[in-house]
Amino acid sequence: MIEIENLSKSYGTVRAVIDLNLVVPRGELFCFLGPNGAGKTTTIKMLTGLVHPDAGSVRLCGFDLARDPLAARQLLGYIPDLPFLYERLTPPEFLEFVGDLYGVDRQRVNQTCDEELTRFGLADHRRALVGDLSHGMRQRLIYVATFLHDPQILCIDEPLVGLDPYTIRMIKDLLKAKARSGVTVFLTTHILAVAEEIADRVGILSKGRLVALGPIDDLKKRHDLHGDLESIFLTLTADDYGLPTGAGKEESPPCIL
Amino acid sequence: MHPLMVLYKKDGHILANLNTVLRRESRFKVLFILAFALGLFFGLYAAFLSGFRFLNLLGGAGFMVTRYLFSLIFLALGIMMVLSGIITSYSSLFRSRDSILLLTSPIPDSSLVLYKFSESCLLSSWAFFFIILPYTLAYAVHEKLSPFFVGWTLLFSIPFLIFCSGLGTIIVLLFIRWIPRHLREWVILFGLVAAGLLAYYIRPTARPGLDDSQFLLSRLIPGLQLASNPLGPNWWTSEGIMSLARGQVGRGLLLWGVLVSNTLMVIWIVRSLGQLLFARACQRLWGIVPPRRGRERLGAALDHVLSPFGSISRGLALKDIRTFLRDPMQWSQSLIFFGLLGFYFASLRTFHYHALPDVWRNLIVFLNVFSVAAVLCSLSSRFVYPQLSLEGQAFWIIGLSPAGMRRVLLTKFFTALAAMATISAALIALSTTMLGVAPLLKTVTISLSLAIALGTCGLSTGLGAIFLNLKQSNPMAIVSSFGGTLNLALSLMFMAAVILPCALPFHLFSQEKIGPATLHHMLEFIGPAIVGLTLLTTFIPLWLGLRSLQRREY
Repeated sequence: MIEIENLSKSYGTVRAVIDLNLVVPRGELFCFLGPNGAGKTTTIKMLTGLVHPDAGSVRLCGFDLARDPLAARQLLGYIPDLPFLYERLTPPEFLEFVGDLYGVDRQRVNQTCDEELTRFGLADHRRALVGDLSHGMRQRLIYVATFLHDPQILCIDEPLVGLDPYTIRMIKDLLKAKARSGVTVFLTTHILAVAEEIADRVGILSKGRLVALGPIDDLKKRHDLHGDLESIFLTLTADDYGLPTGAGKEESPPCIL
Repeated sequence: MHPLMVLYKKDGHILANLNTVLRRESRFKVLFILAFALGLFFGLYAAFLSGFRFLNLLGGAGFMVTRYLFSLIFLALGIMMVLSGIITSYSSLFRSRDSILLLTSPIPDSSLVLYKFSESCLLSSWAFFFIILPYTLAYAVHEKLSPFFVGWTLLFSIPFLIFCSGLGTIIVLLFIRWIPRHLREWVILFGLVAAGLLAYYIRPTARPGLDDSQFLLSRLIPGLQLASNPLGPNWWTSEGIMSLARGQVGRGLLLWGVLVSNTLMVIWIVRSLGQLLFARACQRLWGIVPPRRGRERLGAALDHVLSPFGSISRGLALKDIRTFLRDPMQWSQSLIFFGLLGFYFASLRTFHYHALPDVWRNLIVFLNVFSVAAVLCSLSSRFVYPQLSLEGQAFWIIGLSPAGMRRVLLTKFFTALAAMATISAALIALSTTMLGVAPLLKTVTISLSLAIALGTCGLSTGLGAIFLNLKQSNPMAIVSSFGGTLNLALSLMFMAAVILPCALPFHLFSQEKIGPATLHHMLEFIGPAIVGLTLLTTFIPLWLGLRSLQRREY
């Protein structure tokens, strides 16, 4: 469970996140949406402890991130938009390293290594160096490594960037399965169709403020909008693009890029 | 398992996999890099040994100085290690690519900082292999000391290097944690204070009436006194090694104990500061918003200066200059190297070197040319050589633009040359003015510095294009590759090939072994040869690099 209370962060005069209050319960797949620069990555970085908030607090499964960071990190799995891998390790060595970092039993690491590398189509590349793997293979390896210590909370920044359709399908199914098994999944994405397909709830951030929160159908009803998530998104974030409010209600949204 | 052991185990795996990586490299490349490292090691050994023999030839003063030099080199090395520790700690603590992975894992900050600190110490260990070891070997051979001397040096050098790197790490942690909000104003204030102190320090003073030996000692004594201070870790190190070499085991072990206990204290401070400050220092650094107005003003000024070169060259040069100025690793290293040389050259009059006999002044002038050239070689290998490869994934922007590869390559070359040539010529002009040498020597050395800037920039840009590696984003990996090592080796060879033929006739002239007419005749012959060599060294790599860029598929 993620509990965010009055969270704020500024960079100089720019207010990246303003007074964010949010609870993501256990087993929910939550999608955080917003235009570029809305504060999504800053929020996810505050959830992982990489960025300290100016005000407010974050609790992960009851552990306050500021007071008890190590216990909170133990329960967390984080995949940034550009994840780092040690290029001169082989996939099993990398998994062994991550397992050691999180204190995962060696036998379990070996077992997971066998099962998951096969499941993620990496079994034939066990002896290759990570630096020699393709982008998609590295992404898959990152997922295997992140799931290794059975995190209770998953924070993923842009989970599907640069992946092929097969891997995208696989990741979407995996995230849904994780949520069903009780893991809290918090992800940010720009692909609205993905959010529409897999999210239990979405939150829309605009200029650092949470402007909408709830299941997609509820949002449509609440804002008296018909159509897809794209219309809701464009209407609620019109201000970010300097467009008149309600732009998304038009049948064909104006070209904004 | 302790978090530190987990991290070291990972490094063990990486080290074991080095075998796989090396096997892929051609045997020639590996042997070339090894041969270069060995050549550098034995070259330095030979240079140190001839230095000791030269001092011995001076008689009494030289003999006394040799005795003190052992302590002095550890003082100099200690200062260098602290500076190196500052740069490597900043880079490994705050700029390394694995920091997000490690910071989100349940590793305590203290362990993370200790791990990064040990990485920084390892990066600094080059000093042991390339300075301490050849120096100690040369010293042991010259002074006919026991073969164990090198072993004692190793015993003391490891804690000494850790101690100095630790000071660098402590400085970085404290500075980043409390980095001033108005950094620019503080930098200006600090610069003004430093300039004032420098002006006071280098003010001309009357030369005492001393003969050469006394003069030499009196100039070195302030440094020697500092090096002989019993509270300094360099003194514990040098005295400890000498005590063990003389068979004074008790005294030697006592000094080793003092050094090790102080080193452990430094490690403890690093660990504690890491736990206390690292997270907050990261927040402080990542939360800095650069002043936009200053950037805009600088951008506008550069734009104006570069406008005569046309929009494409201006755009390319502006991008490179901005990238350089916004990377503290790049400009801080250049500033430290050139700043130290500038400080030393500005101090030449304070040391009354201008009042030395011609033989000495001539020697110092060419040593200064040599130092500036060595810094030019290392900086062009570090920054100019990898600049094309570092375009990386963004290379398509340049590749698809109407700029053309020829213009891209030449703009990079001329941008680097403008900076390198201006700084090196200014430094040599300062050095020769301070030493008050004859106009001919001044002209020749300034021309030499320009030739070296031209040659090294041509070599680095050209070889950087030939050995282009767009997949590698780590500049250090590019620099330490085969192409990078070849570039450094060729630059150093070019530097020696240009300086030595010029230095020799001036040396013979200052010793009155040849007259002014012979000197002029020799220069008339050497000058065109150096010009020819410089042009070949500059344009052949550029031409080959351009051909390689144009033929390459992206």
